[in-house]
Amino acid sequence: MNIFLKKIGILVISVLILGNLLSYLSLWALRQGNFYKPSFLVNGVTETDFDYIVLGASTGLTTLDTQVIDSLTHKNGINLSVDDTPISSQYLMLKHFLAEGKSTKICVLAPSITAFDDQTNRINANDYRFLPFIDRSYVSDYFQSYSGTDARLLSNSRYLPIMGVSYYNAEVFYPSILSVFQPKRRNRFDAKGNYTYPFKNSNADLIENRNTIRVEFQNTDLKKIKSLCDKEGIVLLCYISPFKTAKVNTSNSIYNIINHSDKLLRANYFYDDIHVTSIGRQLISEIFAEDIRPYFN
Amino acid sequence: MLFNSLDFAIFLIIVFILYWLLSKKSIGYQNLLILVASYVFYAWWDWRFLSLIVFSSLADYLVAMYLKKEERITTRKVLLSVSIVFNLGLLGFFKYYNFFVDSWISAWGSFGVTMHESTLNIILPVGISFYTFQTLSYTIDVYRKKLEPTSSLVQFMAYVAFFPQLVAGPIERAKNLLPQFQKTRVFNSEAVMSGVYLIIWGLFKKVVVADNCAFFVNQIFDSTTGHSSFELIIVAVLFGFQIYGDFSGYSDIAIGVARLFGFSLMTNFLFPYFSRDIAEFWRRWHISLSTWFRDYLYIPLGGSRGGRYQQIRNVMIVFLVSGFWHGANWTFMVWGCIHGLLFLPLLLSNTNRNHVVETHMLWRQVPKTVLTFALVTVAWVFFRADSVQIAYQYIIDILTFSGWSLELFYKSSKMILFSSIILVSLVVMLVFEFITLQRNQREVRLNHYSGIFIALLIVFMGVFKNPSDFIYFQF
Repeated sequence: MNIFLKKIGILVISVLILGNLLSYLSLWALRQGNFYKPSFLVNGVTETDFDYIVLGASTGLTTLDTQVIDSLTHKNGINLSVDDTPISSQYLMLKHFLAEGKSTKICVLAPSITAFDDQTNRINANDYRFLPFIDRSYVSDYFQSYSGTDARLLSNSRYLPIMGVSYYNAEVFYPSILSVFQPKRRNRFDAKGNYTYPFKNSNADLIENRNTIRVEFQNTDLKKIKSLCDKEGIVLLCYISPFKTAKVNTSNSIYNIINHSDKLLRANYFYDDIHVTSIGRQLISEIFAEDIRPYFN
Repeated sequence: MLFNSLDFAIFLIIVFILYWLLSKKSIGYQNLLILVASYVFYAWWDWRFLSLIVFSSLADYLVAMYLKKEERITTRKVLLSVSIVFNLGLLGFFKYYNFFVDSWISAWGSFGVTMHESTLNIILPVGISFYTFQTLSYTIDVYRKKLEPTSSLVQFMAYVAFFPQLVAGPIERAKNLLPQFQKTRVFNSEAVMSGVYLIIWGLFKKVVVADNCAFFVNQIFDSTTGHSSFELIIVAVLFGFQIYGDFSGYSDIAIGVARLFGFSLMTNFLFPYFSRDIAEFWRRWHISLSTWFRDYLYIPLGGSRGGRYQQIRNVMIVFLVSGFWHGANWTFMVWGCIHGLLFLPLLLSNTNRNHVVETHMLWRQVPKTVLTFALVTVAWVFFRADSVQIAYQYIIDILTFSGWSLELFYKSSKMILFSSIILVSLVVMLVFEFITLQRNQREVRLNHYSGIFIALLIVFMGVFKNPSDFIYFQF
């Protein structure tokens, strides 16, 4: 039995040491690159003072073009949206932004429409993008605040990086190798954090008979973002992005709201129900530039 | 409880420690622990089906006990028939009832007669095909007086439900496994460590090879249209490696886990993709099932004795039944039929035992190996497709050549990543297996360094986030 314990012990310890070493190097490489938004914010964004930032999911990422908005408003903004993320992840991104010593006058929150009232409390599938910053308390606290396998693996990665890196090997380990050779490479976003869906050559019919959806802004993480913004003197703007099949009604007076759900009138502005095409993005960004102007004063 | 889950890892460590702590007491306690652990393992999926294993075990235990005392041939035959009807009845009801009813309705439907569907929503109990064959072999061997039945109910139930091989084999014969429950197990560090290495190797084949191949295979077989012929060929090949990695990986883990408890299970896969003809393939693929069919179906049918017609009949029956054993779908029947048809020329030309003795491969035999692999791959298309029509169309789409494009494998960074992982993992697997084969060894033997290397490949190349079930669990 002793021989077995010795052999299995050496095997397990060897795998743990080498695995953790490789995982640590992998996270280090990602931390030095620009591949995911959290690393891009640290390494690829040199400015510290912004007039506005955009936080959000794919809707925020692909709808609001900060280059267009900047050129029309002569302000400086950046898009920090990450696709497929709920408001909780966007709250973490805001903390990350502030922890980097950066500041903004306005925070535009552009999640998916349903996220404004989403009450589910679970870690998001794309939160691993913060894994390289697990040694920061706000990141590890964030992971620890959730239950479930994903969250446990991510939070334990602070001490055993092999856990998170192996679980998310396709998303973390291989991009980290890429980051070693191409530290400037970004994962599907431009230098201002934007991404666009291609133009789809669909018909330009007028969209009629949109349904009505009501948004009540009940999400608890939204309240956390509001508190943090208030504390930091940031104006929070809730942005409701264009919706092909529905018009959104709101009646909440706590939040500043820009509602563009029914602003785009033709079908060819839409890539699908909730995402716009490149021409839809151009048009809606121009409208947004006008709508945000009063908040700069 | 999947072998590649954290639940199983914890379960295994607990049972392993308790088991060897009990070694100072008696094998009775160890057997009882294995029985309880096996039932917990099975109940993890669906506790309701535990009763099936218990009933099946009790029935065959009692039949065997009566057979032991009974000398009259007629009564012995009746007792054996009871066991066969009971076991095959269970299998037939849970696995084939819906298939027969559906086939019956569509057969009448083709004559314009509409019948109302009355199929039940029957869930297939995991592993039923495996443990019913295992218990069946026990009563048949007792009937044939090749095996002395055990009087210990715990031993017998532990043999039937032995958790390492309960849900997907190897289908162990009582002659091999049952006596091991009767002997004292002594802790052997070398054997246990070889079990650990085999588990690592099995996990590599499952989590790295099979689950990464599944990424492309599932995409294509979910929608087979709009792909180039070359993509279809590559995906068919990938399915061959997926099912091999999946099933032989499971078998390796099962054998390795059994070794941790001092048990020796039979080899189930012997590097089948290095086979030089179909006959050799079947001596190397799912050996526990093919030998089961040989001993309990092919030989009783007459085997290779008799005239040409009888030989052909017996071979085709065995391959068709083998196909049907895999699942209640015509695709498996066609798969079995193809293998039967590929086997017949070898049988009829008396070349089906050409490679029985020589195991290592010569370079000049590579073309034969490639040809055998290609034939097996064609049959896999039927095995994997949801229907015979889809499989047929798949083959037609390959034959009506639609280009050399391999865009599927590099059209996005994700695709390139998976393609690269698959390529590396296949090279590693085939190199290790080839070396093992040339050394005339029956299993890949890792050492300390290669063990660490393979474990690290599992960590950084394995699929953990969305792991696939073992394919053979559905059988």
